[in-house]
Amino acid sequence: MRKILNRWTGPVPAAWLCWVLALGAVALAFIGAERAGAWMARPIMQVGVALLTLVFFFVGVRAVLRRRFDSALLHIGCACVLAGWLMGRYAIRTSTAARPCTGSMVMVDGDESDRLWEGPMLDQYVGQLPFSVRLERFFVERYERNSDDRNAGRNAPVREYRSRVTITEPGRPPYVVNIRVNEPAFVHGYYIYQMSWGNSTDQLGRPVVYTVLQFIRDPGLKLVYAGFALLLAGILFYAWRIFRIQGTSLREVTA
Amino acid sequence: MMVKMTVQGGLIYLTLTLFVATIVARRGGWRTIGNAFWGTGFVAAVASVVWRGLHTGHPPMQNLFEFFLCMAAALWPLSVLSRRHNGLDTTVQDALLGVLILVPAGFVFSEEVRRLPPALQSGLFIPHVGSYVAGYVLMARAALMALPLFRQDIAGDRLRQTETASRQTVAIGFMLLTLGLLLGSLWGKICWGHYWQFDPKEMWSLATWLVYAGYFHERLAHGVRAPRVLAALLWIGLLFIVLTLTWINLSRLFAGMHNYA
Repeated sequence: MRKILNRWTGPVPAAWLCWVLALGAVALAFIGAERAGAWMARPIMQVGVALLTLVFFFVGVRAVLRRRFDSALLHIGCACVLAGWLMGRYAIRTSTAARPCTGSMVMVDGDESDRLWEGPMLDQYVGQLPFSVRLERFFVERYERNSDDRNAGRNAPVREYRSRVTITEPGRPPYVVNIRVNEPAFVHGYYIYQMSWGNSTDQLGRPVVYTVLQFIRDPGLKLVYAGFALLLAGILFYAWRIFRIQGTSLREVTA
Repeated sequence: MMVKMTVQGGLIYLTLTLFVATIVARRGGWRTIGNAFWGTGFVAAVASVVWRGLHTGHPPMQNLFEFFLCMAAALWPLSVLSRRHNGLDTTVQDALLGVLILVPAGFVFSEEVRRLPPALQSGLFIPHVGSYVAGYVLMARAALMALPLFRQDIAGDRLRQTETASRQTVAIGFMLLTLGLLLGSLWGKICWGHYWQFDPKEMWSLATWLVYAGYFHERLAHGVRAPRVLAALLWIGLLFIVLTLTWINLSRLFAGMHNYA
């Protein structure tokens, strides 16, 4: 029994599993991000990922018992990342209108809201946030035009866009945060992202600039980051161990 | 096919010429002269990266053209370090690799300057792309180093030395690929809102990573009993890298969030 278990959790099936997963990743690349995400959200795939997580965890624990700590860190790191991803998926599946996981808001200057929407036109109601957001002002900054710019006739490329919002949380005085690309705000368990912006007209036909803010809550994120840290430590340890095998022969040869 | 009549183009062609001269000199038996050409080629490659950075006003890592310039500049230090470590002189292969990298940069890719979009303005830009630049170069070098493993008559010390050198190179490259993947994932969370979006380029990078992970498991399972399998795996990994860099970037089939190039 033990022999069979060792054989089936040894490096040979592991190598094959790596290549099968690589082919699976390539297949998912071919069908495109959206459909690949939908595929991976299916219960059967989640069960598969859960099984994979257990295998990683088992191999990691066994590596600890064998004092192969680099291998242990790497495998438990992978298990943590996958488990964190599953936690995030579970949160999305069990989210309610009272505590949504992800959603967006379209706002123009002066709007205040705590309701999230989804769908291509952002017209499907998702739920309500535990705080409210008021857009004070939305800024778009462009690069200065260059004489050798090929697009000199058109608008210069956008350098930065950001939303200055006031957050009103229960039990706290309101405060102002700036949200820009690569600088999300973190409020009450939600990351707030500057997703996009555009030009439109209001009911009276006057031009307005709108901003789209996205709100994401992911309870598995800490586990994923912990997995990243373990993976990084493991890979450093592993590379160091391989590199410690010094020189292979004394004379220099031409490969 | 187009020739670049600019300072940038001149620097690229100078580097190319020096790399070709390295190969010719080393093949002709003039070792010192070849090494001098190789070192000068590095200076020219760095000059072309620096020129590009000054010209565009941002770190030159935005598109394939700039990525390839960085790869060419990363070759010499990696070559020298590896020679110092494992005694395997790979100057000729590395110069050949440099030529292969610089020909598309010099004759195919456009050098049009594009401003950095807001998504790329991040402290993770240089670490993420830089890890991949160095990681890909190391993987390509490892595949070239492993070429003798395909030969029937290789055995003993020579086999051991070649195999160890390529495996050590892959180990460092794998570390950099992992770092690039994790930093990219972290950046994805900060910029796009999620650490994994099933973007085609993410999936191909993960597949590449998994191929090399499989290589290490295979090496662990069978040692050097099947050197040709190990060498073949390194070449499959390199094929995945080439596909990730070219097909996935340039084809409309894989439209995704990484389409900056």
